[in-house]
Amino acid sequence: MIKTDVIIIGGGATGCGIARDLALRGIPHCLIEKGDFAAGATGACHGLLHSGGRYAVSDPVAAKECFDENMILRRIGEKCVERTGGLFVRLPGDSKLFRERFLRSCDDIGIPTDILSSTKALELVPSLNPDIEEAIRVPDCSIDPFRLCLLNMKTSQMKGGLSFIRHRVTEIVQSHGRCIGVKATDAATGEVKEIHGNILVNASGAWADLVARLAGCEVPLTLSKGSLVITNHRLTDMVINRLRPSSDGDIIVPNEAVCLAGTTSLAVDDPDALSTQSAEVDTIIGEAGRMIPHFNQARIIRAFSGVRPLLKSQKLDSREISRGFQIIDHQNGLYSIVGGKLTTFRLMAEKMVDAIMNAFNLKRDCETADQPLDGQEELSGYPLSKRLADMKNILCECELVSRGSVEKIIQETGTRHVGDISHRTRLGMGPCQGGFCTFRALGVMHDMEILTARQSVQSLREFLQRRFRGIRYALWGDQLREEQLVEYIYLGILAMEKTRERH
Amino acid sequence: MSVIEYDVIVIGAGTAGLTATAWLAEQKLRVALVTAGEPTACLSTGCIDVCSRDDQPLAGIAGLPDGHPFHRVSPEMLGQSLDDFRQMMADMDMPYKGALEKNRRVLSAIGTFKNTCLVPATMEASPQSDDERIHLITFTGLKDFYPGYILSRFPNASFSSYDAGVSTTMGIAANFEDSAFLETFLLWLERQKIREDKIAFPAVLGLESAFSVLKQIESRLERPVFEIPTLPPSMPGRRLFNAMKDHLRRRGGVIYWNWPVVGVERSGRQIEAVTTEAQGRPNSLNARAFILSTGSFVGGGLYAKRDRIVEKVFDLPVFAPENRDDWFDQDYFSMNHGIGQAGIAVDDAFCPTDSPWNNIFVCGSILARTETLKNGCGHGFAIATGRAAARSCLERLK
Repeated sequence: MIKTDVIIIGGGATGCGIARDLALRGIPHCLIEKGDFAAGATGACHGLLHSGGRYAVSDPVAAKECFDENMILRRIGEKCVERTGGLFVRLPGDSKLFRERFLRSCDDIGIPTDILSSTKALELVPSLNPDIEEAIRVPDCSIDPFRLCLLNMKTSQMKGGLSFIRHRVTEIVQSHGRCIGVKATDAATGEVKEIHGNILVNASGAWADLVARLAGCEVPLTLSKGSLVITNHRLTDMVINRLRPSSDGDIIVPNEAVCLAGTTSLAVDDPDALSTQSAEVDTIIGEAGRMIPHFNQARIIRAFSGVRPLLKSQKLDSREISRGFQIIDHQNGLYSIVGGKLTTFRLMAEKMVDAIMNAFNLKRDCETADQPLDGQEELSGYPLSKRLADMKNILCECELVSRGSVEKIIQETGTRHVGDISHRTRLGMGPCQGGFCTFRALGVMHDMEILTARQSVQSLREFLQRRFRGIRYALWGDQLREEQLVEYIYLGILAMEKTRERH
Repeated sequence: MSVIEYDVIVIGAGTAGLTATAWLAEQKLRVALVTAGEPTACLSTGCIDVCSRDDQPLAGIAGLPDGHPFHRVSPEMLGQSLDDFRQMMADMDMPYKGALEKNRRVLSAIGTFKNTCLVPATMEASPQSDDERIHLITFTGLKDFYPGYILSRFPNASFSSYDAGVSTTMGIAANFEDSAFLETFLLWLERQKIREDKIAFPAVLGLESAFSVLKQIESRLERPVFEIPTLPPSMPGRRLFNAMKDHLRRRGGVIYWNWPVVGVERSGRQIEAVTTEAQGRPNSLNARAFILSTGSFVGGGLYAKRDRIVEKVFDLPVFAPENRDDWFDQDYFSMNHGIGQAGIAVDDAFCPTDSPWNNIFVCGSILARTETLKNGCGHGFAIATGRAAARSCLERLK
């Protein structure tokens, strides 16, 4: 049995942020995540670090929080935030009244705005629709959610915090009506770990109600599915928003070599049973194409959905539900933290840890807004010169990832999961979506004796199924053509389908 | 604009198009092959899959669903076309082994067995069961071949690794064309004291001369040697394509290489010419009949728009699942993706149905309901339908 002070359930931005805050305040803790870090809503969003503009009219409180956090994160997280700036563009027919309200609200909140003529906006972003009436510049940024989680966990690890990924909490251990620990099952081995702590934090996002029910509690959530598409290259260097009340497909965010556009908003019941619909994909492309016309011809390499865990409200349209967050004290040692946004994850963590400190009757102020994220010095960014230096041994041609850098990640982390390599190097994130390089990366893992050959083949099978779920809603045009080639390689040349017989 | 007159223009240089063109040339027709570039045959294993879904190709074909285009090829036509193929490849010093009566197994780079009908002689010794004792040779830095995948399924296998100085499939294959390299390699191989019964290589034993390289290794090591097909670029696929292309040229066949078709000239119910663009200059290729063998999606014969699938040269009506959601199954490995059905539906004469044109013939993987992967109807299907469409075309022209 493992003993700690605080048990965090959930390895999204909120859970990782809580782990970092606890670490900086000297509180022993253990984080448990059923998948990988950032595997839920954190990893299935735009990667937009909001300026607050998007919520300025509908939810000024959330907008102010976003703005303040934006300023903090660009300071402490240089290596995972790209200061792109953002534009709210007004298309012919978009309400002028909304524009006035937008400007007034931003002004009230303190979000700086800059009104640009269409000519000036087109100078900044040449791919914009030349028919736009005008654009308003705001301090939006793009943020890498995977890196953000890893960097937060780095601090936790440096201070002795524990974390178990791919462990599912199957039971909350109770004694005399209080929650005193959890039992978590290792997905790979089936081994059950029992971990005891004084306080349990349920930061499991869309799964919060399912977790709370293990302790006989409830978390009233509305689950809202949002779908996104990814293009194969960067169509804009700035975040592009539509200047109108929140609607489908009104945000485009550049991130590394690609662009993400979305979203939609549809109520769902089960966070584990998501599917993207063709109609959603078509809507997003259509709407994004009104802001950046090339979107209609761009290659879409992935279409996927995430779930926003929103606090339950009587309002029917989930976009109208507050993006604010709430901490629920279940009065039995279990806390649930729900709602919020990726942009405000640090603030959520601060408030959560304040409550924990209060419960422990300890006093130490939050330092997460002042200390730069640990581990950033190791992130070199992606200089092309560095990637091309080892040209002979490139495993991933799309993203120029060499065998050497894959071996380095494996040595450093001891990972047995090809996804961990992708998140750290972008292996497999380009147009072929890992179609060629995953076969190689798993071969390397076998060469290094991290995986047995049988495990490599099994991992490859699982990867192909997972990959297919991400791409099957975005298959047409050149992308479909490339996918048919990948299918021919795995099923035609390698006869992968026959690996099933042995398992 | 230059105008050139032919009896038949074949569009697409895959195994279907090459077979059709060669046969028509032998019938003394004025025939030309026009292609946008290298066919997907170059990416293939070089194996001739006739119908791999059954251990017996003919039984497999008989069991194909109604409406499958293979039912439009008579068994005699199939047998004849494959016999001619084998004769041609033997003439080109690239013999093929196997028989239409029974499929054989080929070891894949992941350790599974692929069913196929005819194999390049360099794969003849491929094991037929996973308890065979084999020794794998790999090459330092070769990124598309990992012996571990095969070792996991072969308890009686081991491997050694050779540094060829280069790490690409093409680079190593080019080295094997050099006798000094081969000799150095053979001396190394002898020093390995291999005890297993067979020696396996990724398919890199030469660009064109693999068969003779393999024979030299076999005679020195005194045991069977075989190649394992690799990921593209695939040497056995390139060898197959180059041999068929050279054979056609030897027969006086004309190939317009890198000439993508960009337009069509029509008159009444006839296609009169295709216009192509080469070196930025339009050319018109006139003919009495046209054979379409442009392949499926990878080959570029079909193109999926967001709302429908189109045929790229003549804009022929395409048979396909109507709704985009039905193009793909949820399970990647199900082999049951609706998109596999997409293509051009034809009548018994291999003429497209519901088409406004009466002088077009269609063959190969662009045919509707082929389901190349699911049914294992690959090059063998292309050869048979290429021949059948060509004969049908000839009869029409008489």
